[in-house]
Amino acid sequence: MGEMNVIGKRMAMTDARAKVTGLGRYADDLSVPGMLYGRILHSPHPHARIRSVDTLAAEALEGVKAVATGRDAPTPYGILPIGHDERVLALDKARYIGDNVAAVAATSPEIAEEALRLIRVDYEPLPAWFDPLESMKAEENWIHEKRAHNIEKEYHHHFGNVDEGFAQADFVLEDRYYCGEVTHAAMEPHSTLAVWEPNERLTVYSSTQVPFYLHRTLSAVCEMPMSRIRVVKPLVGGGFGGKSEIIPLEVAASVLAKKARRPVKITYTREEVFYAHRGRPITIVDLKLGITKEGRITAAQARIVQDGGAYCGYGPVTVLYSGALLNALYDIPNVKFDGFRVLTNKPACGAMRGHGTVNARFAFESMLDQIAARAGLDPVELRRRNLLKAPCTTPNGLRVTSYGLPECIERVAERSGWAEKRGKLGKGRGIGFACSHYVSGAANPIIRSNMPHTTVNIKIDRDAGITVYSGASEIGQGSDTMHVQIVAEVLGVRPERVNLVAADTELTPVDLGSYSSRVTFMAGNACLNAARNMRAQILGPVARQFDCETDDLEMRDETIVSKNGAGVSMSFDDAVALAMVGEGALVAKGTYAPPEQARGGKFKGAGVGPSPSYSYSAQAVEVKVDRETGQVKVERVVAAHDCGRALNPLTVDGQVQGSVYMGMGQAVQEEMVWREGRLMNPSFLEYRLPTTLETPQIESIIVESIDPEGPFGAKEAGEGSLAAAIPAIANAIYDAVGVRITDVPITPERVLAALRAKEEAEKGGAR
Amino acid sequence: MTKELIRLKVNGETHELAIAPNKLLLDVLREDLGLTGSKRGCDDSSCGCCTVLIDGMPMLSCVALATSYQDAEITTVEGLARDGELDPVQEAFMSWGGAQCGFCTPGFLMTTHALLEKNPDPTLDQVREALASNICRCTGYTQIYESVLAAAQKIREKRKNEIAISK
Amino acid sequence: MTMPGFRVIRPSSVDEAVRVLADNGPEAMVIAGGTDVVPNLQMRLFAPRVLVDIKGIGELRGITCNDRVGLRMGALTTLTEIAEWKFVERCFPVLGSAVRSVAGPLQRNMGTIGGNLCLETRCLWYNQSEFWRQSLGGCLKKQGDVCHVAPGGQRCWAVWSGDSAPALLTVEAELEIAGPGGRRRIPLAEFYRNDGMNRIALGRGELVVAVHVPVSSAFRRGVYRKLRVRDSIDYPLAGVAVAMKVDGQGICRAARVALAAVNPAPQLVHAAAERLEGKRYSAELVEEIAHEAIRTAKPLTTSASTPVYRRDMVRLFTRRALEELWQTRRGNGEKRAG
Ligand SMILES: Cc1cc2nc3c(=O)[nH]c(=O)nc-3n(C[C@H](O)[C@H](O)[C@H](O)COP(=O)(O)OP(=O)(O)OC[C@H]3O[C@@H](n4cnc5c(N)ncnc54)[C@H](O)[C@@H]3O)c2cc1C
Repeated sequence: MGEMNVIGKRMAMTDARAKVTGLGRYADDLSVPGMLYGRILHSPHPHARIRSVDTLAAEALEGVKAVATGRDAPTPYGILPIGHDERVLALDKARYIGDNVAAVAATSPEIAEEALRLIRVDYEPLPAWFDPLESMKAEENWIHEKRAHNIEKEYHHHFGNVDEGFAQADFVLEDRYYCGEVTHAAMEPHSTLAVWEPNERLTVYSSTQVPFYLHRTLSAVCEMPMSRIRVVKPLVGGGFGGKSEIIPLEVAASVLAKKARRPVKITYTREEVFYAHRGRPITIVDLKLGITKEGRITAAQARIVQDGGAYCGYGPVTVLYSGALLNALYDIPNVKFDGFRVLTNKPACGAMRGHGTVNARFAFESMLDQIAARAGLDPVELRRRNLLKAPCTTPNGLRVTSYGLPECIERVAERSGWAEKRGKLGKGRGIGFACSHYVSGAANPIIRSNMPHTTVNIKIDRDAGITVYSGASEIGQGSDTMHVQIVAEVLGVRPERVNLVAADTELTPVDLGSYSSRVTFMAGNACLNAARNMRAQILGPVARQFDCETDDLEMRDETIVSKNGAGVSMSFDDAVALAMVGEGALVAKGTYAPPEQARGGKFKGAGVGPSPSYSYSAQAVEVKVDRETGQVKVERVVAAHDCGRALNPLTVDGQVQGSVYMGMGQAVQEEMVWREGRLMNPSFLEYRLPTTLETPQIESIIVESIDPEGPFGAKEAGEGSLAAAIPAIANAIYDAVGVRITDVPITPERVLAALRAKEEAEKGGAR
Repeated sequence: MTKELIRLKVNGETHELAIAPNKLLLDVLREDLGLTGSKRGCDDSSCGCCTVLIDGMPMLSCVALATSYQDAEITTVEGLARDGELDPVQEAFMSWGGAQCGFCTPGFLMTTHALLEKNPDPTLDQVREALASNICRCTGYTQIYESVLAAAQKIREKRKNEIAISK
Repeated sequence: MTMPGFRVIRPSSVDEAVRVLADNGPEAMVIAGGTDVVPNLQMRLFAPRVLVDIKGIGELRGITCNDRVGLRMGALTTLTEIAEWKFVERCFPVLGSAVRSVAGPLQRNMGTIGGNLCLETRCLWYNQSEFWRQSLGGCLKKQGDVCHVAPGGQRCWAVWSGDSAPALLTVEAELEIAGPGGRRRIPLAEFYRNDGMNRIALGRGELVVAVHVPVSSAFRRGVYRKLRVRDSIDYPLAGVAVAMKVDGQGICRAARVALAAVNPAPQLVHAAAERLEGKRYSAELVEEIAHEAIRTAKPLTTSASTPVYRRDMVRLFTRRALEELWQTRRGNGEKRAG
């Protein structure tokens, strides 16, 4: 690869202007003539049979144009083919406080709310399950009749032989870790505008990360062929996984629009966003780790229970990730995993940034430090001694093609001043270290098929403007810009010449969606292939005219020139005009499907974890701990992330810093607090996202391992740095005040309790 | 509810509107004036996405009854650019990655604009203090800090040039 | 969330406001900055027929201060105006410290001192949406007959969550109240009822016009320490205000300690004044006062943090504040908690 003009340059996002002028449109900014306002009635009971729903009074209210109940859309659905257990509006049972029971469309939001007050639901409350460990023991009143003992799924995997591994170890440690529930809290509350078109079609504008899955589900639930439904993604105000499933309002708005034959918009209140949830579950990790005195890990064993809430969602995938990605960060010969996804009467959990890996990683990286202390090893050195030798395949069949972790570790150790600072920062101050990794998309699609995961088209017509059509969903992470950069680089044009049409099912080919960090790798590769095809179409006629090989030509600075500098020089516009002779508009297509070798093993559950490539991250965090209040202040973060190649360093930095921030929030202050299935803090005042005052400047370092299969060598950047932040903080607290906190969030109360316990123990010891 | 006829001056233009007395400024901007740049991110006035300037002061349009601000000069994000030329704050948020999903961006821009009007040379700590009512879930704030400091520098340079020219 | 329906009346004088309030009685509600009222309206915590928007009343604006009458802050003075008032650090550091800790900068640009002193009490079981509260059948304070904080009790424990009140208690502030019978002035301490449901002593038709602080309590060293999860936006989980005068010999000449967010009212720690006056610093004395503070504090599970922790922090913050003020020359408010 020669010198590049666009790739690798810090570039403002292509939609930045729309965002800073306030002129860009998000779903709730849209309105159309005749639009109705939809509202949803939620269950006040955590678990109740629904005997009847009486909507007569609501329907009679002036201004009400449609009322829907479970009977209007009885088709069950769910993001996974094995988990079609949701209905947009409950038919027989409500399964959590906030479950959806009826919906109304009216001429104003006030009338719609008034109508909700008029709906009479006859509930028969049932015993409910709130604690996952209790729920697993349930003998009756199962949340879904088909799911015995409220266990959604369990998996048991064993690679190598952990018994032998532990026998070889000089130090073996076991501990339990608990992580509270957290949620995405994207700033934009979900919103959907469903427009019933005069030609009996449905157009749905929605704040989604997965237009394609939404398209499929709407077709099933609204009983309309996909060809009569169009899903359009406007600007999306953040997702982080919270918009990567079908969210009830998307279906409810569509059902209401079809029923009323009018456009219907539903925008969630912030409280409803908390009930829609799909966030990171309460996770209980029982971990056992063995190392030799030289610091080689001999075995790891984890039993992980996730409190999934009332519906399946992505649940089985979440729990599988937590097991599969115990591997592929370090070289561990023997790994055993028992995973349980449990149902409880709370809002459904799902995929949240770092899907499945985060809480398991917290446990693992905490324990590495605990065991390093036991063995008298420097925590960074312990990590150094367990590196993989890429390329390689892990015992559970994950293929590692590029591995920048060693460089991440060294650069963070150096920049943070690890060696000088550990144990030496003085009273109440400490430094902690941790690593993490993540997939660049799942090698196996949710809906099994052998079709490519994504297709990108490019069209050039007489204006010589380049239009790229991609189904990929920009949600703030920079995917639109990524497409533009790739095409501009390959065709040697200025990015301004490239126009992107994205995420509109009527215009753009299918892309599976923005989740599990798949877009740069997969849509990027498809885009790269399409651009290369287009390049061939343009260069062919030029080569013929100049009687040379296309290989002799290059495209740069809006011209086609000979590589050796002699002979050919033709402007891009002229070259396009030449190529169009006898052809008309130029059209090129590119696709991407992960290679067979990347698709993993053959055992049950092997489908989750394999990825065409993995990103790596290392972090050092400095904290200050107030011994009397237990308050922890994060003062400095240095995070290195191996993203293969930074197509746009500006957005890679932004993704890494944002991931660290989200991890920091989970580490010290974010938690959904439950009392009997009731969410005590469904608001931004009480679910506390860190403000600027808790957030130092985060120092990000980009490491480029140049992945052999990624587009220009690129891989994941948007999630992998989250997981390391949490254990790095826990480890820093240990360095600061000598207490090991195994429960997250690490609240002042928990720190204080641990400090007091330590004092007591020391007093006891002194006696 | 009987509507009330009110006069509202937004981005330099005076509008006459018939609105219900319980209507919030944010909703009037978004629904009656089509200025959808200001956003609603929460329901308890704790996120800052709806920030507008009222007589130059950054305030939350989600707690303001529209009828209460008839004599005020209201500026929204749509009013920051002048004659198609972006404000330095907007420019900086573009080039420094201050906007990712963009939903909180209008609020941050308004708060930043007010800060830099008052203090074109803030320290990082002053920036963090000033922005502490605006929540961003994407950036981890770091690129926002960089954007604000870059905008400040641009504004200082611009002022210096203006002074030089007027001499 | 939508807003409930109401009329808005915008009086232009105190007399007119009083008349409107008196005419409409409990159906009317004052709105100043609206930072408390509007979110609460959206949650349907109350449903006034008439909102009396007092922002057009000029008499309620502005700060005046001189060495004869002391400090007067009109009820509409915003918290930002107080924080930026150039003498606040010199004359009433405890007030500056408290005011800067309220919510975040944007809320302070709108929130007024009158509103801050008349704030609704707060509780995790009360400050929730209509749907949320009804899913539980309401609570004592609103549409129910059970207190979820102290089940079985008939008392509402919703907590006083304003930050400036405890600070103003430590400088013996007074309120100027206008009503149908004319103006009256009462010590701020008498304004609060320590009842979550009926928090303040305002009669029908009454309005807070101004806050006065006597000259005699100027130049006390002072600080407000606030327990919160975030350094911005959050209401207090506990708050301790301390103001004291220390002479050249290090002897305490006057001292007041007051608490927020651990009772339904902001409360003075009464024992503090007499036990501190005339005394020199000692660690034991400070610990004794800190102990008195936790005897005054009665936190229950009304907020995110546990009562035990909040009591612990009341004791710690009292100790830290006294040490800081007594042992250093300056008593400037510090912004951060802890
Ligand atoms: C996100 C958020 C966080 C907050 N955090 C804090 C915090 O940390 N600490 C804190 O103290 N406050 C906090 N608040 C509350 C609020 O911002 C401040 O207390 C503010 O000072 C209230 O003033 P206001 O003018 O906005 O009151 P309003 O909302 O207008 O009124 C509040 C109450 O006072 C009454 N009232 C107002 N003025 C008068 C008057 N002159 N006479 C009689 N009654 C009157 C009203 O009827 C109402 O009952 C927070 C608010 C929000 C939205």
